[in-house]
Amino acid sequence: MPERRGLRVGQWIGLAATAVLLVGLLILPKFQSQYDLLTYTRFLVLALMAQGWNLIGGYTGYAAFGNVAFFGLGAYTTGLLMLSKLQVPFFPALFCGALLAGLIAALIGLPVLRLKGHYFAIATLGVAEAFRQIADTWDSVTQGSTGIDLPVRTEGEFFYYSALAFVVLGVLVTIALRRSKIGYAWVAIRGDQDAARMLGINTTAMKVLAFAFSAMFAAIAGGLTAYQNIHVTPGDFFKIEYTLQMIIATIIGGTGTILGPVLGAGVYQLLSNYVWTRFLELHPTVLGLIIILFIIFLPRGLMPVLTGSIEVARGRRRFRLQALLANVRAHRVT
Amino acid sequence: MNPTEFGQIAVNAVLLSGILALVALGFSLVWGIMNIVNLSHGAFVVLGAYLTFFLHELVGLDPFVTIPIVMFALFLLGFGVQQVLINQVIRAPLLATFLLTFGLEILIVNLVNYFFKADLRSVTTRYTGTGMSLGPLRIPYIRLAALGISLLLVAVTAAFLKSTRQGRAIRATGMDIDAARLTGVKVAQIYALTFAIGASLAGGAGSLLSMIVPFDPNLGETYTQRAFVICVLGGLGDVGNVILGAILYAFVDVFVGARLPEMSQAFTFGVLVLLLVLRPQGIAGKKLYA
Amino acid sequence: MEAPAVAQSAEVLLQARSVTKHFGGVAALQGVDLEIRRGEILGVIGPNGAGKTTFVNCISGMDKPTSGTILFKGVDITHMPGYAIGRLGLARTFQVVKPLRQLNVIDNVAVGAMFGAGGSKRNTSQARARAEQVLEQVGLKHRSTHLAADLTLPDLKRLELAKALAMDPELLFLDEVMAGLNPTEVERAMQMLQTINSSGITLFVIEHVMKAIMGISDRIVVLHFGKKIAEGDPSKVIENPQVIEAYLGERFAKRARGERQKR
Repeated sequence: MPERRGLRVGQWIGLAATAVLLVGLLILPKFQSQYDLLTYTRFLVLALMAQGWNLIGGYTGYAAFGNVAFFGLGAYTTGLLMLSKLQVPFFPALFCGALLAGLIAALIGLPVLRLKGHYFAIATLGVAEAFRQIADTWDSVTQGSTGIDLPVRTEGEFFYYSALAFVVLGVLVTIALRRSKIGYAWVAIRGDQDAARMLGINTTAMKVLAFAFSAMFAAIAGGLTAYQNIHVTPGDFFKIEYTLQMIIATIIGGTGTILGPVLGAGVYQLLSNYVWTRFLELHPTVLGLIIILFIIFLPRGLMPVLTGSIEVARGRRRFRLQALLANVRAHRVT
Repeated sequence: MNPTEFGQIAVNAVLLSGILALVALGFSLVWGIMNIVNLSHGAFVVLGAYLTFFLHELVGLDPFVTIPIVMFALFLLGFGVQQVLINQVIRAPLLATFLLTFGLEILIVNLVNYFFKADLRSVTTRYTGTGMSLGPLRIPYIRLAALGISLLLVAVTAAFLKSTRQGRAIRATGMDIDAARLTGVKVAQIYALTFAIGASLAGGAGSLLSMIVPFDPNLGETYTQRAFVICVLGGLGDVGNVILGAILYAFVDVFVGARLPEMSQAFTFGVLVLLLVLRPQGIAGKKLYA
Repeated sequence: MEAPAVAQSAEVLLQARSVTKHFGGVAALQGVDLEIRRGEILGVIGPNGAGKTTFVNCISGMDKPTSGTILFKGVDITHMPGYAIGRLGLARTFQVVKPLRQLNVIDNVAVGAMFGAGGSKRNTSQARARAEQVLEQVGLKHRSTHLAADLTLPDLKRLELAKALAMDPELLFLDEVMAGLNPTEVERAMQMLQTINSSGITLFVIEHVMKAIMGISDRIVVLHFGKKIAEGDPSKVIENPQVIEAYLGERFAKRARGERQKR
């Protein structure tokens, strides 16, 4: 959409890089231990969640803070369907989970998306908390805090390739949406919601759509994680950490971009692993610090830096530290 | 529910509302004046609690005596945090401030966890557990004192906001920042002052809490949430609103907590969402709609 | 004296009956009756706070009137949501311009083209093509790929107009589009509005720039404290003592009278 002309070559470079990466990701499992594969799978699942969040938080500009609600919903729906008398196979169960999440997101979104910034964020946070409590107390269905155990499946490759397939699908879906009228509507809403309304956009419907989509992505991520993890509990699958990870990943990579969420998920996973091994106990502290630094210095994430670097490399733009700092100064109050 | 049970719950609610008002006041000031929803507010409460704990343990100070020290220390900390961090994102979009303060919360809580470990602590003195009996109802002295001190601090803050030059400058900035600037108010200073006051009040609340409940580094999270709900309930208008919101919330929280402890959070948030959707301006105050 | 440019028998495009709007205790609009005839340029003047923008908000669906009815092309749009009204063929600009900041100019306008009255028959690339046409019309083509956030005020005003035009409206509400423009820019704007009107679009123009209003309006309506205090031929309206007292001031009226006597 708002692509500067003259990035044609840059786009080819980006495409080529992505292709190389994709091939790399496809052959990866041959060279990795099961443990490392787990990390890569986690990165892909995070990328999936981030892609979904990007639709409502990035393109549409509504910072939902409770998408873990749909992650958990997907996890439980998938698990319970697989464990039910029907013994629904994994993928159909997964899709049911996604559909259900989308539906519930639409229902919740209708009242909640009318709220302004902070209130929307906290309301969605509240929804996530409420879902956790419901999962905890609705013993008859969810077995409460003891949780449920899905059928066992141990081949890491299965989860890895499934997650990879979904991420690729996610990228294609994002491209399609962004190019469509829906994508324009979303960005218009983020630009100026009143103007968007007066331009003929049904903002409520569009917001609900974005929210529902984000829920579906999260639900699929939840189902995958549930199956891989085997054991599903409310505490584990409704924790705020997941929401934060998907938001931070999107921010690191670049909100409102197609590959930003995937890039950000990769960077986050890398950082997280590195920090975990180096700082074990202070791991959250360092992550907190990283969040803070990104927010202050790189609020639009790495994607603009990458595209900017391509332009610098082509000699079209001079590298300016000023630009980086200008962003920081712009948000200060004097 | 028999009258005694109800009475005790009511007493507990009233006693709790003082501290809640104190926590919510700092939060609402930062929100109302600076338009920052400070997700690390609870972390300052935690710091206050730990500071009192260690002053009591190491130096032997009576916890009540530590309160002014803690409040001063947190005032300085808040000032510093605002200047170095918060100030960078004041005019950034909401998500940025949200995440920044959240990152800060993770940072502070985890640091506390690292240095002081996650064991439950509490401040006990020779007068812990003493109380008076009003018929069948029990009123612990410490909680009563906490209520008194909270209300005192709230009143002092209110008086400060109303009668001093700085206080009026703060209010003016909250009402119309451009107009305030035109009348010579140095907005940057006011913001730093406001945030510092918010941190200070939070610290004070933490000190009081350390004497009342067992605490660990995660104490703060629930208080940030509660502060938020109280602000939504009462609206961001003025101190009176905060007190009103605190009392209302305390009653609902204690009452629901007694009957449906497992569902209390879901219930609270359900009420919150309902409130936001149906009556966006709270009981009185600024509108919240998009 | 000039004969009214629009015949009395012209079709009524929009009919507002007893439109009232209360904000808490304040009555921003009190029983405003107004007709907009197809093909005309209706000028709207009045002091600040008279309710002009509130009126536009109520008609365009940005806000809802407390009471009264509004019919557009015979359809009751009183309680219709804003986006649906836009799709019916009614567009508006905002007094304080509302560009879609992070998009570039052509995308800003393309949004109007794809969601407005003509939107259903256009896909995104057709919308961009239409946007290019509109940008040509308002003189912004050279800035197509610039970000909206980087434009100067006059260009932002043109963008605001372009967005609304891209919606293929039959009725266009313009809220102080000339505020902040220098005399040359005002002249150009006047010409542009007249061209737009000649192409068949009915205009409802709120303005404080009297020269512009007098120059292009077929009829004028005067609002004051939420009430319509005068309506009709421009030259007659500015003679109206109520209007003079409320808004124009004696000096202007005298000058305007003098101007016309010269002709």
